[in-house]
Amino acid sequence: MVRRKSTEQEPASRLARKRELPLDPYEVPDETTSPKRRRGPNKNNIADIGAATLKASSLKPLEEAGPTETIPDGANGAQSSPQPTPVKKRRGRPPKVKTGDAANVAAASTPSTTRRKNVAATPVKLNGTNGVDTPSWRNNADRSARRKSARALIDRVVGGALSDDEDEDGGIAREIYEARSYPPPKKRGRPRKAVSARKRSPTPPRDLPPHEQYFYQNKPGLTKTSSNNLSSLDLLTHEEYFSVLRQLKDPHASDVEFLQSLHAESFPQWSFEISQGFSACLYGYGSKRRLLHQFATYLSERSLSPQPPKVVIVNGYVRTTTIREILSIIGNAIDPSYKLVSGNPAVMVQNLLSLLSTTGLTVVLIINSIDAPPLRKAMTQSILAQLAAHTQMRLVCSADTPDFHLLWDSGLRSSFNLAFHDCTTFGSFGAEIDIVDEVHELLGRKARRVGGKEGVTYVLRSLPENAKSLFRLLVSESLAMMDEGGGITAEGPGIEYRILYNKAVEEFICSSEMAFRTLLKEFHDHQIITSHKDSIGTELLSLPFRKDELEAILEELMS
Amino acid sequence: MAEIEDNTVFQQDDHRAAYIFSAPSSEDQHHHAASSAARPTKRRRVSSKKDGSKSRQQTAAAAGEETAAARSAFTPLFNGAESPDAVRLRAESFETAWPVLDARIQHVLREANRNTLDEVTSFIGNAEAETTQIPAGIIITGPNIASQDLLFEQLADTLCKATQARFVRLRSAEAPNLKAALKKIIKDAGASGRDDDDDADDDDETGLSVGKDGRKYLNYDLETLHVALGANESPRVIVAFQDSEAFDSGLLTDLIALFHSWHDRIRFSVLFGIATSVQLFQARLLKSTARYLYGAQFDVVQAGSVLESVFKSAVAGSQAMVRLGPSLLRNLVERQQDQVAGIQVFISSLKYAYMCHFYANPLSMFLAADGHVDRQLLQPEHTQAVRTLGSFKAHVERAVEARQLNHAQSLLDDDSYLVDQILKQGQRRQDHVMRLLRSLHLITAMGILSTPFTDLYISALAEGIDLSSDMFAVVDPIKRLGPDGIISLIRRIVSAIETGSPELDLPGWESEADELMAALGEIRDEVETLVERTKDNRNPLKSKYGAQNKVLRTTVVAQKVQLSRDTATLTEEDNAFTKAIDSLADILSQHIHCDPAESLFLHEAWLYDSKSPYRDVFIPRPATTFGRALTRPHDYLGCACCGNAGGAVASTLPATAILYHLYLEAGALINVADLWSAYYASVGDESELGLDERTALVHFYQGLAELRMMGFVRQSKKKADHVAKLKWL
Repeated sequence: MVRRKSTEQEPASRLARKRELPLDPYEVPDETTSPKRRRGPNKNNIADIGAATLKASSLKPLEEAGPTETIPDGANGAQSSPQPTPVKKRRGRPPKVKTGDAANVAAASTPSTTRRKNVAATPVKLNGTNGVDTPSWRNNADRSARRKSARALIDRVVGGALSDDEDEDGGIAREIYEARSYPPPKKRGRPRKAVSARKRSPTPPRDLPPHEQYFYQNKPGLTKTSSNNLSSLDLLTHEEYFSVLRQLKDPHASDVEFLQSLHAESFPQWSFEISQGFSACLYGYGSKRRLLHQFATYLSERSLSPQPPKVVIVNGYVRTTTIREILSIIGNAIDPSYKLVSGNPAVMVQNLLSLLSTTGLTVVLIINSIDAPPLRKAMTQSILAQLAAHTQMRLVCSADTPDFHLLWDSGLRSSFNLAFHDCTTFGSFGAEIDIVDEVHELLGRKARRVGGKEGVTYVLRSLPENAKSLFRLLVSESLAMMDEGGGITAEGPGIEYRILYNKAVEEFICSSEMAFRTLLKEFHDHQIITSHKDSIGTELLSLPFRKDELEAILEELMS
Repeated sequence: MAEIEDNTVFQQDDHRAAYIFSAPSSEDQHHHAASSAARPTKRRRVSSKKDGSKSRQQTAAAAGEETAAARSAFTPLFNGAESPDAVRLRAESFETAWPVLDARIQHVLREANRNTLDEVTSFIGNAEAETTQIPAGIIITGPNIASQDLLFEQLADTLCKATQARFVRLRSAEAPNLKAALKKIIKDAGASGRDDDDDADDDDETGLSVGKDGRKYLNYDLETLHVALGANESPRVIVAFQDSEAFDSGLLTDLIALFHSWHDRIRFSVLFGIATSVQLFQARLLKSTARYLYGAQFDVVQAGSVLESVFKSAVAGSQAMVRLGPSLLRNLVERQQDQVAGIQVFISSLKYAYMCHFYANPLSMFLAADGHVDRQLLQPEHTQAVRTLGSFKAHVERAVEARQLNHAQSLLDDDSYLVDQILKQGQRRQDHVMRLLRSLHLITAMGILSTPFTDLYISALAEGIDLSSDMFAVVDPIKRLGPDGIISLIRRIVSAIETGSPELDLPGWESEADELMAALGEIRDEVETLVERTKDNRNPLKSKYGAQNKVLRTTVVAQKVQLSRDTATLTEEDNAFTKAIDSLADILSQHIHCDPAESLFLHEAWLYDSKSPYRDVFIPRPATTFGRALTRPHDYLGCACCGNAGGAVASTLPATAILYHLYLEAGALINVADLWSAYYASVGDESELGLDERTALVHFYQGLAELRMMGFVRQSKKKADHVAKLKWL
């Protein structure tokens, strides 16, 4: 290092070093720990100061530069290799030091005057502090950071900014500011500790408004979760789920019942509303299916008009619900002998409404879960709105998600003419959700499928012989693969499409790829196989069943 | 679980997409079948099922008019003690009150579009002669698509009448592609000519239609339309695109090109309803397409002025039986002005307010037409209810202060005296409303205040009308008027009194305002003579309030300018004029005066000012509701077990609620394994509840599935067994 010092005596090189001055402080906190290195800077400093003072007397333009450069020079020499190039490279790079950014920034922009005073007036003292503790410029940097953060805090208070101290900048500023109150010996470690503690931020801030919470939780790097997984847990099967469920007693059953009876007291009000052209929309947590069923009973019993209203109940949560089916059932309710035109639902609904107008009937349409996925399409909703707008049509619906009202724009809203009611029932979603499948799908475990072994045999019974053979082949292949233990994915073992095809051809199950595809499509339609592509694009077929189920299926097929 | 067993009854139905509901027992069905044949039987059946008061109501209804029973969705109030007749009276009052208003509102809405309609009609009528392009009326309907329906309905009516054209309304939802659009056009344009619908239905089934000459056409072939219209001299078809912005621009282009190529055989015109601007609309069309169109732009009346006229006729008008209170009205109007809701929502809210008032307020019965409310109808409950009213208390206190002790005493003790008073209030109410409306009408007729009528009305209801108050500060401006201004002001006031206001449904009240008319006439005559006398003078007539009377004088004293204000000297005539103005101001402040509505005794019977049902019913806050149900289930369940927990997680909470608590604490990505262990820790062996693992897992599954169904989580591909958070309520 001393060697290096000797090489750069020229003012030009000094100027160059002076330019890189602001960057240097960043580096120091990283490596001030080893005493050996610290000794380096000291030596350099002495040498440098001498040089600087010399220069200051002779070279006017450098008057300012001289003292400023002394400290970083030392630091620079201490940590970097003699070549000037890496130093230059570092210039553009953003600081990546563990210490707080604010402190760095503050240090970078510290006015040089304070330092100059320190250095120029009491070189000895500087020496001493350096020898014992952190380089003095760091203290200075921290102090000015503190000053800055104090100013920031004051600004925040004066400016009436948000008062949450947990807020990022405020947090830093406060931490830096408070660091000052510690006794001097601790000064060295303290700010760093505080800052690094902030980085880890063990407790999430509380009571943030939802949007702030969103941004907080979606900050990159915060999504650290443990790598635990559910492999140790034996997941529920349908059978187990229902057998446990049957023995369960809900401690809240009576309360839920009571809540429901409270809602039921509003039946007259709702029926008044729907008779006045409003559509009732019940929302809130819990299944409202039973409540609506009661309401339907109430309506048909309480009806005082000569013709009791026809009540049609739609279950939006059923995955296969289509608007066509709904329309044709309504048509059926109005006049069982009338056949609606088939085709475009938009045409059907016109047809239906004109049919309704010719009769004097009132139809009450009760829709469970109007916001369920099968009904979410804009087309479906606009058709329902057209239905609801008809004077002889009454609509009562329930909504299960918290943001159901995004389904409708103002046009639809006004044709629905909705009156909303909070109907939190806490009722369990027995029919609405297939709980086991839903959870498994959520976990990416198994795709939706027909119900176990019985379902498969039922499906296969209606398929031709070669389809059965193909499925047997598929089952035995996947069992073989399971035994080998290879190719297991989340969906179970995957069999390559090609291989299966070749085997099928070998066994005379099918003669062309076309026929093979047709057979597979049948399986797909019944959801007894799934297919996906692996990372290199090979198509894999798999069976969404557990091993014991597969064995049972194979047994069934062989017999 | 009890739930499961209950469900077995209709479990099958629960997994069907849709089904026709039939009443549970066959006995009921039998009754339903019988009911259409023998109505009284049915009514008896219903009445036998109800409790005592109900059955009385039903029998009374059966004795009364036929219709009365059918309409009664109303339930007896006073915990069921209300008499059936009173219930019926409320129902009837509602049914007479609302349709009147509804008709008026519809009328106003129709009238509002009148100008636009006329313009469009004349454009469509004339454009044809001028150009070979397709006439295109571009109607700027504004962002509120809810009110478009009415406009296009009217357009269809008017245009069909005026131009003998076939009118087809297309909505983007009905015409997803070219084929569907053409089918709809052909069907609608063709059907409006011939009435036999069956024919059209057959077309749809076969996909073919048979022309008159026996040829078959595809049902999206415009030739069909051409043939169908062939009989007419000049087949004209107007196609209206209601929500043009929502149409695929390719579809629009195709349709327009097609119309153009058929233009020599079928004379097409098009109308576009546009929410944004013509420029934006044009930018969506190809230039070549735009060239086919011969367009003109029409504007629809601004939402604000529509609101004002609806407000005048339905809320303020003398026909409005129920007065909506100031705070509710302010709420409604603000929502309109913030453009978050269309006029339809305003009307619905209005209707809902009426419904609430008559449905839930037993005193609303007093609003029934005169003669309907008599002593027999009034039950002890009614008088008791009246005595609990705030306005009753205020009224009695006022009586005591005014030393009418007997009056106060009888009000408190004597039921029949109170009933007398109650029956008198109907007239008081009408007087009050009349005074309010007349005063408001005069104020607006003066043309001095620029405040919108809605604001005037609302503050008049809330604070009453007092010309010295800030809201109705007309006196000072009047005083500053010159002689001409005064004369024309008086003329305006007089004509306002003579004609009344048709918008407010306020007839002229010349005969009742003799005194005022005479006084006004006097002042006018005097001012006119004064003007006459001063006509020759150089100085025009002025009052001491006039602006020109305050003269600024500049005097230069010792090279300094001094400003001083001086009253110009007034002539004798001027003084007389001043006096006339003063007396005018006095007369006006005397006559234009009204108490706040809430100061009237028994205003609760006709003033509806409750915001909460309106808010709950029209502005739901589902996120809050769901959040509350899940964070504090105790609020709803009221159970003993979860109440103590406060906001914390108790093991007795429903599984979904516990999971939701954990969900709130988790980050954007949730490890289900950790979620499970956290859940199991709170309900499992170690906790108070002590569930075994499999049972806990069942609950866990339920909770997780419900969270997913409500859209809180979705599957995450980032890591195995992880779910992503979707909602931050």
